[in-house]
This record gives sequence, C-alpha cells and structure tokens, in this order.
Amino acid sequence: MAGAAEQAEAVLRVEDLHVSFPTEDGRVRAVRGLTLGLRPGEALGIVGESGSGKSVASLAVMGLLPRGAQVTGSARVVGREVLHLPDEELSRVRGERIAMVFQDPLTSLNPVYTVGRQIAEAVRAHRAVSEREALARAVELLAEVGIPQPRERVRSYPHELSGGMRQRVVIAIAMANEPDVIIADEPTTALDVTVQAQVLEALEAARRRTGAALVLITHDLGVVAGHVDRVAVMYAGRLVEQGPVEEVFERPRMPYTLGLLGSQPRLDQGRSLRLAPISGAPPTLLAPPPGCPFAPRCPMAEARCTAEEPPLREVSGGHLAACHFAERLEGRTPQEVFARAREPGERAPAPSPAAGAALLRAEGLVKHFPVRSKGVVRRRIGDVHAVCGVSLELREHETLALVGESGCGKSTTARLLLRLLAPDAGRVEFEGADIAALPRAELRRLRQDMQIVFQDPFASLDPRMTVSEIVAEPLRIHGLYRGHGGAADVERLLSTVGLGPEHGARYPHEFSGGQRQRIGIARALALRPRTLILDEPVSALDVSIQAGIINLLEDLQEEFGLAYLFVSHDLSVVRHIADRVAVMYLGKVVETGAADRVFASAAHPYTQTLVSAIPLPDPRKERRRQRILVQGDVPSPSAPPSGCRFRTRCPKFADELSERERARCVEEEPPLKARVPGGHLTACHYAQERSLV
Amino acid sequence: MLVFVIRRLLVTVPVLLAASLLSFLLIDVTGDPLADLLVQQPPPSEEVIEAERERLYMDRPVYERYWLWLTGIGGNGDIGLLRGEFGPSVRGPAFDVGAEVAARMGVTLRLVAAAVLLALGLAVFTGVVSAMRQYSAVDYTLTFIGFLALAMPTFWLGALIKEAGVWANGQLGATVFYTIGDSAADTRGMGLWERIADAGGHLVLPTLALMLTGYAAWSRYQRTAMLEVLNSDYVRLAHAKGLPRRTVMRRHALRTALIPLTSVAAVTIAEILAGTVLIETVFQWRGLGTLLVEAIRTSDAYVLMGWLMLAGTLVVLANLAADLLYGVLDPRIRYE
Repeated sequence: MAGAAEQAEAVLRVEDLHVSFPTEDGRVRAVRGLTLGLRPGEALGIVGESGSGKSVASLAVMGLLPRGAQVTGSARVVGREVLHLPDEELSRVRGERIAMVFQDPLTSLNPVYTVGRQIAEAVRAHRAVSEREALARAVELLAEVGIPQPRERVRSYPHELSGGMRQRVVIAIAMANEPDVIIADEPTTALDVTVQAQVLEALEAARRRTGAALVLITHDLGVVAGHVDRVAVMYAGRLVEQGPVEEVFERPRMPYTLGLLGSQPRLDQGRSLRLAPISGAPPTLLAPPPGCPFAPRCPMAEARCTAEEPPLREVSGGHLAACHFAERLEGRTPQEVFARAREPGERAPAPSPAAGAALLRAEGLVKHFPVRSKGVVRRRIGDVHAVCGVSLELREHETLALVGESGCGKSTTARLLLRLLAPDAGRVEFEGADIAALPRAELRRLRQDMQIVFQDPFASLDPRMTVSEIVAEPLRIHGLYRGHGGAADVERLLSTVGLGPEHGARYPHEFSGGQRQRIGIARALALRPRTLILDEPVSALDVSIQAGIINLLEDLQEEFGLAYLFVSHDLSVVRHIADRVAVMYLGKVVETGAADRVFASAAHPYTQTLVSAIPLPDPRKERRRQRILVQGDVPSPSAPPSGCRFRTRCPKFADELSERERARCVEEEPPLKARVPGGHLTACHYAQERSLV
Repeated sequence: MLVFVIRRLLVTVPVLLAASLLSFLLIDVTGDPLADLLVQQPPPSEEVIEAERERLYMDRPVYERYWLWLTGIGGNGDIGLLRGEFGPSVRGPAFDVGAEVAARMGVTLRLVAAAVLLALGLAVFTGVVSAMRQYSAVDYTLTFIGFLALAMPTFWLGALIKEAGVWANGQLGATVFYTIGDSAADTRGMGLWERIADAGGHLVLPTLALMLTGYAAWSRYQRTAMLEVLNSDYVRLAHAKGLPRRTVMRRHALRTALIPLTSVAAVTIAEILAGTVLIETVFQWRGLGTLLVEAIRTSDAYVLMGWLMLAGTLVVLANLAADLLYGVLDPRIRYE
C-alpha cells in the first residue's frame, strides 16, 4: 500500500523500526520491524496489551527512550529522518512538528511551576515571542481545551488542578505550536470514564484546531472505535493487523484481534453471551519464538505457524493482517474460534433476581473520615463524607455490582460490609443477625462466610509465602486445615481456579497478574464462603486475561452458589456479570435495580452520563451514539453540595430545568424511590428513563 | 506565612527547654567545677574554697541552680541565659564567658560557613554529573570518593590533610598552606585586605577537611534526587516540548532535585558543628571547638552548658530555615 505518492505526503512514516533493551537476562526485543504511515490529519489507533511495544515505539520516534536502548530503522516526520538526530536538531522537531501526550497527568507536569508558565515555555521553545505574549497564548490554549476561567487557571500550580484538567493542560502544551502529529499514549487510562470523555473531547478539539494527525495508543478497543480512522494492532512487538477501523472491527483477519474483541465485555450485550478469553500469556520478548508470536495461544495454529513467521500482507483493500490463514476467519465469531470444547458459548440463564433470600443487608450506612489540620495540635477541621446513608441488599446466588467513579465511596462501603471498618451509623445484617452486635468469636466465625478478593494482585499476596501457604492460611487461622483435608484441599482449590498442583510450591512473583488473581480467588474460596466481596478484581488486568477471570468467577458462582458483591468502575464488565447494580455518587446510591433495566433505561442523569461515556467497541454504533457530557469534576467529599449532590455537574439541571425546578434540587435531597410504577429506584426529582447504549 | 513562622518558633520553645534541662543535668552529674581547686597543692584555705563555691553558685541545690542558670533571678548578675549571661567560669571572676564565646564564634562560623558553602556547591555539581552519567567511569569515581569521605573519621582526614599541607610546604620551600591557627600569630601592622587574605589562607585546609563530611552525604542525596527527577514524566514532557537539553536539565531537573537537599543539609549542620571540635583541635584554632575542649578539661560547667545550648539553638535555627526554604521552593507546600 505504500505507493510513492502516498509515501511523499505522509506526515509520519516509520519503517522497519526495531527497539531492544539490554537487561540482566539478555536483550529484550520490544519492537520488531514496525512499519507504519500516517497521512496528514488522519487519526490512527494503535491497540495492544501491556508489553506489546506500542509505547516503546512512540517513545523511539520522539527520541525519548532511556540511554541503552538500541534503535534501528527509520522514522520520518514530514519527510525528515528523526532517528539518531543530534539532540539540538531533535529539539527543533519535538513540539514543533510532533508532540506527545503521556499517560499519567498527575506526574506529567512539573510541580514547581504554574501551568501557564509550562505552556508558555512550550510556545517560546519554538517562537520568538515575549513571556507576556506566550502567557496570552497559554490562556487561549487553555480555553481551547475546555478549561473554564482560563485567565485564573493560567496561574494555578498543577497540584491545584484535577487529573482531567491536568491532562487537558498537557494537551494544550502538545497543540501549542500546531504540530503535524500528536501522539497520545494511553491519554485517558488513568482517568474516570466521565473525565475520559471530556479529555477525548479536548483531544478532538486540538485536532480540529491544529489539523494535526493523531496517533492514539490505547488498550481500550472502545476508545479506538470512536476516535480513529485507521487502527493498527500490535502483539509481542510486531504489527499484526492494520486497516480502516470499521473493517478491522467487523472483519478481523488475525486471530489475536478476533480474540481481543471476543474477550472485551460490551455494554450493548446482555449476560447471555460468554466471553471468549485467549488462553495463555504473551510470549517473553527475550527470545521470541520462531514463527508467529501468537501461535502458542492460537486455537487455529498449525505446524506452519510455529515454523514460519507470517508477513503482514494485504487481505483486502487497505486491510493488512499477519496470519497464514487470514482467509479462514471469514464470517467466524470469537466464540466459535476461541471457546474450548467443554466451554459452551452460551451461559445458563441468570436466576431471577427476586428468587434468593437476602443474605447480606446494609441499612443507612454512614462513614465519615476526619480531616485534621497540620501542625502539632491536629484539630479536626472537617470530615470526608465517604459513605452517607447507603442501604443495600445482597441476595443468595446473585451478583450485586456497586459502581461509580473514584472517590464515590464504593470501596469504603465494601469494607463496612465486611466490618473491616466500623460504620459511624447504620447496621449490617448477615442472615438477619446484626454483625455489630456479635461477640468477637461469632464475628470471626462469620468471616468464614464472607471473603474478599482485592484489586491489586501484586500487593495482596505475601511475597514471602508459597502459593500453598497463601491458600492454606485462612484455613489455618480458623483451625480448619486438617478438617478440610489439608494439602489435598489446597490442591483441589488450586485446580478449581485453573492452576495445577505443581504451582503450589512456587512464590507469587513467579506468576503473571491473571494467575495471581486466581491465587487470590483460591484463597478467598478456601473457607467455603457464601459471599465474596470482589473489589475491582479485574481492573488491573489486560483485556484477554480479564475475560478468563470473569469466566472463572461466573463458573464458581454456578458451582458453589456464591453471592458476589462486585465493586467496579468498569460498566462494561458490570453489565456482563451483574444481576443487579447500585450506582454511587459522592457517598450515596443514586440509582439501583436490575442490571438490564438500569443499563437499558437509566433514569438518573448521573447514570445516564456514565452509560453514555462508556465507549463501545463498535465503530458504527459508537459514532452514532448520543453523548451526554458532564461538566467539571466531582466536588470535594468534605463539602458535598446541598440537596441533590449531583446538581453541580448535572446536565439536566444546567440545560433543561426551569428556575423553580432547580430550586427544588438545591433545597431538597431526592429520596431513592421508584419513579414509575414497577420501575427501579432512582434518586432524582426529575427522573426520566433514557436509552443510551 | 507569618503565622506559620510564629507557630514554628513557638514549637522550638519546648525543644530548647528540654535541651537546656538535659544539658544542665548531664553536665551537672559528670563533673565538679571545684575539683581542680580541691586538689591544689598546697591546699587552699577553707575561706577561699567557700568563696569560690559561692561565686560558682555551687552552694545552692540543683533545681535552684537550673532556674538561676536559665533566668538569672537571684544571682549576682553574671548568670542567666535569658539575660544573655552564660555564668561564671572557673577561670576566675575576670573571665567574661560571653565575650570569649562571641570572639571565638566569629572564627568558627567563618569555618562552618565556608565548609557548608563549598560542600553544597560541590555536592550539587558532582551529584548532578553522577546522575546524568549514571554507571559511567565518572559516576563510579565520584561514588568511590564519596564513600571514602563517608568512611574516614573527620579527625583522621583532618590530620592527613594537615600532614599533606606540611609536606607540600616542605617540597615548595615556602609556606603555601597554613597548617596552624586561624590567622597569623601577629596581625599588627596588617591592613584590612592583608588580614582578610591571611584569614582566607588559613581557612583553606581546615575547610577542606571539614567540608568532606557534609559533601559525602549530600552528593549521594543529590545524585539520588536527580536520578529520580530525570526519570520523571515531567522531564520527559519537557524534552517532548522541544526544550534544549540544557534548559531541561537546569529548569526542570535541577530545580526540583534541589528541594530534598535543603532538609538533609539542615540536619547535617549538627554533624558539621561536631566536626569543628575535631578540626579546630587538629589545626590548633582558637574557635568554639577548642573552647569546648578546654572547658571539658577544666570542668568549666557553665561554659559547657552554654556551649551545648548555643549549638542546639544553631541546629534548631538551621532546621527552621530549611522549613521556610521548602515553602519557597515547593509550591505544593503552603503554610497557613
């Protein structure tokens, strides 16, 4: 496809890029033979899981790799070779021709300078203007990326701005000199979904304004679907598929891409379809196997795949794939290709939500954390209202999801339910017994029925204990190790979560993230609990690994009749796994009900913005969808707004309500109740169901 | 800011009070100021001893003496820290401790200031070079020098440097390096510039010896801080903006990497004060350090206590200065 004419007009042209790093174990070959072209004004998405080389490639183009990295090949920006340029010349290209936005906005800005100065500095690096003129330009740029009151904000220090605002400042820096190419490396991964929508909007604005081409690097297929023209998929340092975004999403020709699409839970799919995870883990880049790097995980692999590395070849107009058997994927679904024989593609229908009896019930839970002054006396100067009157009910054999953005109090609620924290008010009942009133010994016994799986599989396992010891520890604590069958029981638990008995003698660091999370689940299951509290159990994992854990959780629920309280910020995952959901905002439940209903016809404006902010991995749908953007950031939980807590950001409050109607939102807190007969519960005076998926 | 300074000063009051109590009690139980007098041959008369006991306030109980030492209320006007009096010395009623301390403080502060400035400058420079050339021959050499200086006791380093100075003078056949005293024995007839040049010349070797303690620790800290900043996202973003490398290093890397050094440096001031005692002894300076040694030798209780309180106050002030500097250097820290 690289015709001479096209090559000439490309703003970025990467050819046969190789990057490797020396490590103690040998050379890690992070990028192997990457070839890419970017036309003026085009948006290209690069998708891949961690370790696929997508970030390394972009840093190599920018000349930002640490010393010691070995880079070969060619990268031309507007016709000019930038690899191995002397520092001085490179700094004239950076910022002026090609700019970059990094992943973590909290660390991307220098804490000791005002944001205005940092933007002005970018302007002055390439333009001979005075500091005053550069600051005036900074104000303009802040306005363009949608920061309110840019004149005041220009004097703020980074720590005075929220994550979303800081990322917009970084975008403002990137567009300061109207570059030809902007590379955004996971620009929204560290942000909440509603803020993600704002930042992606700012990125679009930057493109419109500067006419720059965009390289959007991400692991999120949904983000790619809605924001790029072409997409490139990377795996183990190689480009394995590339083409127009609709083409790749609808007719993937590389099994890996198909697998990624199949393991991604979707907001527009019900619970009936089982996810199709990719088995195994990506290969080590120390000594990549000969042949196709995906062959060991590919269900279609044949002898030829392990012997001969497939070249990237054109399969249809502008669509390239690196697979010997690309044509065989014609018309096949991920479930057909990836589901193993014993795993049916369909799930058993969910039990009807009303069926089970209440197992765990919380009423009016309140938890405030004191904010203390600095200094010797440390007076109490305020409270963080983490949880304010939350009532929940978890029934037998069901999954209740607690969703919301960071700081909404969902994890605190989970800890209150387990009584890892004592509530300031309210009660928690387990099978009708108030757990606060239980004597210590009783509470201890009760803990056997309630176990927790944590978010971070790296921090939640003791690195000095073997896997067997970790899994056996709860049994020993409760004196049940012998009673339950000792080592044999531990082996059974390991096999339940898909690990072999030989794994028991190893230490956690020898396992991948997904395997560690399986160990965490085995530990939680050891006491044969009836309830599992799952605190963001899959949010630290890559998509293809995440799908395997979700399937495992579903199987375990089926097999042992467990009840799950699933705490998550990821609505796609929740949509897939939950029977019922409770949406939290600033310490309160604003909407709750059966998952199908809440997602299909959200009635609270906050739920509506959340649902509409979740990107769908479907380019056509994603572009047609109605979006509801919220303004601003979550207010401080130490001074929540009066009346309805969401009113300060509520699009309905801002645009639709009359003065009189607004007064009610300010003065009166909306109770959580059914707004239409037989409907789910919503805490909004003016609730109105809308379908947004 | 003003409120913070006042609050911070108020906090130092209990610290200094505790320091005064400890200094007083420890000195009080470890030596008797009258000991020398009592063993004199021929033995002095009972009246002389009694008069000396009264002059040194040894006739009063401990708690009264502590109170007297702090406030001077009920004394003869020659005691009371709060009135600026250090107390009587065993050297006799004519010996004014305050004047002696003031004279010697000038000498010592000269040494401390020169050592601190030189150590800071060198530490920042070598720390930055080490970090920017991590794992290079330069880095390893500087690391080796740093650890050597850390491992060698100050008095030994001082003695080595002094001997080296003596040897160099011998080789050159002229006194290039001054190895004895803080200034020429006879400064009469010298003009102002000659005096300054003379004092400066005498400073060279002792400063070098004293500086190494601070330098060794600080350069290590500076290297670590600089490495951390060099790997930070904002330095990467500064490169990505297209700023020249030098500007990135100076404006983004060095500026932030200096912040942690302020508090580390303040803490090390105490070590440097301790170092002056050894260095002044080695180079035979008449500074505060040798005053301490003389006071210990003669059980000069009030001089000792006063010395300890003075050192304590200096350390407290250095830390206060570091705290305030932090507020200026790091906008994330704002004092209300």
